[in-house]
Amino acid sequence: MPSKKSLHIESSGQLCIYCGACVGICPLNCIYLDETRITFDEKVCTRCEICVKACPVGAIEIG
Amino acid sequence: MGSDLKTDVLVIGAGPAGSMTAKWAAKHGASVLMIEKRQEIGSPVRCGEGMSKDWLPDVGIKPGRWVNVEVEGARIFSPNETVFEINEKHAGNEVGYVVERDEFDKQLAIDAANAGVEVRLKTAATGILKDDGKVVGAKVKQFGTTFDVHAKVTVGADGFESQVGRWAGIPTNIALKDMDSCLQYRMTNVDCDVRFCDFYLGKVAPGGYVWIFPKAEGLANVGIGVQVSQIRSMAEPRDYLDRWIAHHPAYSKGKKIDMVGGGVSISPPLKQTVMDGFMVVGDAARMIDPLTGGGIANGCIAGKICGTVAAQAAQRGDSSKEALLEYDRGWRARLEEKLYRNWLAKEKLCSLSDETFDKVVDALKDVKLQKLNVHNILKAVRDKYPEVTKEFEAFL
Repeated sequence: MPSKKSLHIESSGQLCIYCGACVGICPLNCIYLDETRITFDEKVCTRCEICVKACPVGAIEIG
Repeated sequence: MGSDLKTDVLVIGAGPAGSMTAKWAAKHGASVLMIEKRQEIGSPVRCGEGMSKDWLPDVGIKPGRWVNVEVEGARIFSPNETVFEINEKHAGNEVGYVVERDEFDKQLAIDAANAGVEVRLKTAATGILKDDGKVVGAKVKQFGTTFDVHAKVTVGADGFESQVGRWAGIPTNIALKDMDSCLQYRMTNVDCDVRFCDFYLGKVAPGGYVWIFPKAEGLANVGIGVQVSQIRSMAEPRDYLDRWIAHHPAYSKGKKIDMVGGGVSISPPLKQTVMDGFMVVGDAARMIDPLTGGGIANGCIAGKICGTVAAQAAQRGDSSKEALLEYDRGWRARLEEKLYRNWLAKEKLCSLSDETFDKVVDALKDVKLQKLNVHNILKAVRDKYPEVTKEFEAFL
């Protein structure tokens, strides 16, 4: 079985501006913004990559 | 575990729509708790800071020190930078005042608090409480302590990134073509005109626009929205904005002092905004004008209705979906037709070529439009560029 790609949200502050664009667009509602911390639910995320596009500053990568 | 709380109305999120809902619920006699996950209401700002002003008296907001600049109107720049000026009254809900948005949000929260609302900061909703399908409050976390808030009516006012609506069971998902990804710099040392909010259309910002909202002489918010469905690679909104600034000497020498990002829904109105014990309002309810991207006015107008209905429902002891539908009907009567019409217009505008934008703006600049409406705009276009009118037949 192919393993899921990995999703990485750079939310240490180097790229992420904590704007919530990814949270609002996530079709599975599985990204969480807590002031300056962004997390997502690994199990629910299907790596659809919509958040990668929606991020205005390129802080989300998939590989 | 902290101790559980009881309230008539729980409002989740202390932005403009949340504060208006809370204020009007309290003014109508309800006990109201408004929670905000941030430590500071209104900050960090996620907004272009332009808003219209004719609606303010209606919902009880007085202009205060949150007003930076009062503009005369808007200037629309086509791709070849033909300009069309519109008086502020006809320029849509982003044009009138340029504001200090964090001050604005704080003022509305102060108004709510002074009306009797209890406000709790650093308090996030982490889930919805349900009893037999009906929303009866929320699970919240304050300073790391989790407890339940039991409410007769719960209101989701948690902004664009809303989660509580979906937790409750109202589908607020949006399509990629119904969202703009936005980025803005506040720039000093720029050559902006404080009389106008400027909008640049076309391929400089696919499915959106570049905006210049003046904060003071030499200081402006310079931002961009790009339709997510037209984004091809990572960080494109930033690339588009940087490219636009580099090509405009009035701004390329400017210095960035602030950076703001965010999502803006440009979707049709939601089919459902209430369920048993629960309502959703403002950006969370996708009430942003899909043509202008402005959300403050609509959120506040709907918030007043939402708060009023919430208080009545709590007092009558009936917060069923049927009772709360009065809010749904109320905001639709005020906003729905325009939201839908502007969504259709947005769909059309997103498909126009730069050449067509140039022709439309060129046709408009020649006429003194007494009243800016679709009919008058189309007539002006038809007189000068009959071939372009075909693109807009659906609107006739």
